[in-house]
Amino acid sequence: MKNVNHQRFRFHRKIPAVIVLAGLVVGTVQAHDPIFGIGPHVLYKGGIEVAPEVHTGKKGSERETELGLELTYGLTGDWAAGIDLPYRFSKDGSEDASGAGDVSLFTKYRFWRNDTLGAQETAAILAKVKFASGDENNTPPVGSGSTDAILGLSYGYESRKWYRWASVRYRRNGENDDGLRRGDRVLVDLVGGIRPKPTGYLEPDTVWLLELNGEYGRRAEFRGSDLPSTGGKELFLSPGIFWTKRNFAVKAGVQIPLVSKLHGRQDNSDYRTRLILEWHL
Amino acid sequence: MNKRIALVIMSMLWSAMTFAAGTEYRMRVDGLACPYCAYGIEKKLKAIDGVGKIDVNLNEGLVIVDVAEGTRLTEPQMKKLFQDSGFTYRSMTETPLDGDAGK
Repeated sequence: MKNVNHQRFRFHRKIPAVIVLAGLVVGTVQAHDPIFGIGPHVLYKGGIEVAPEVHTGKKGSERETELGLELTYGLTGDWAAGIDLPYRFSKDGSEDASGAGDVSLFTKYRFWRNDTLGAQETAAILAKVKFASGDENNTPPVGSGSTDAILGLSYGYESRKWYRWASVRYRRNGENDDGLRRGDRVLVDLVGGIRPKPTGYLEPDTVWLLELNGEYGRRAEFRGSDLPSTGGKELFLSPGIFWTKRNFAVKAGVQIPLVSKLHGRQDNSDYRTRLILEWHL
Repeated sequence: MNKRIALVIMSMLWSAMTFAAGTEYRMRVDGLACPYCAYGIEKKLKAIDGVGKIDVNLNEGLVIVDVAEGTRLTEPQMKKLFQDSGFTYRSMTETPLDGDAGK
């Protein structure tokens, strides 16, 4: 009995941390796509993209750091697929844990493209499946213990000077072995970008971005019952930068919360950051 | 040592002569907005035997390629190459690289 109570105590302490994981595992970035939102960019046929990244987030006493490696392959000029391999460091108050996070497979298909002189306007759909491969038995856990699916639609326009994107994603979260199902999420992103100085082919190139990232999460369920202090709405303002030279890119951004309307008693997000290095091979 | 230097010079001269007798292609391509995204074009063109210097003029939507004598780039080949790179091929002009020809 003591052991059962101990397990229950540990499980309930894990709930907030498992729910926080949802905040970080959503992005798949290719080339000139937004840092936190998604864009319609894919990869040239036969191309390989290697992208190590660091993603951090803080919410009250919970901190998450994810070191990820994203590998993408260009199946055609309009269709790419890849894998995301994360390693996580989780900290909740005085407890911390680290280990392999949940592996994801993703694919993106650009179904519409309108090319004009010095500009490209495109739209794509994205699908991503995150598997329950990470370790969820740590305290705090580094894996969610559930298989989740993400479906996204994105539009993008890029020219020699201006960029704009709009995207929407729906994330359907699965149930873990303990009977916890994080609430489904809807993410909406509006992004603008500017290249202050149009540069030549082999010159270093800089584009500045400003993203508006909206997130709506339903309440999590535990064995069929809603958990009151989960889910809600958040809106972030996210400045970012791409710096590129030939086939190498550095992308970085920070998400600053503008509005937080979370259900029940929850800590608001303090910030999230993302740094990506990317090579096209 | 002298033999090595002579070999390098001869090889450079041979290379220059080969491309001097080659062809410059100027391809009009739509969708070229950023230098990073154009890398796929460079990679695909370099996979073709005989392709030498490649330049991309983003503002004018031009991809300029010098090829060695005996190498020909065709419209269907370029249409597919640019499609696979994620851009739209529009047209192409070719100019011989042998001195005054084409002027």
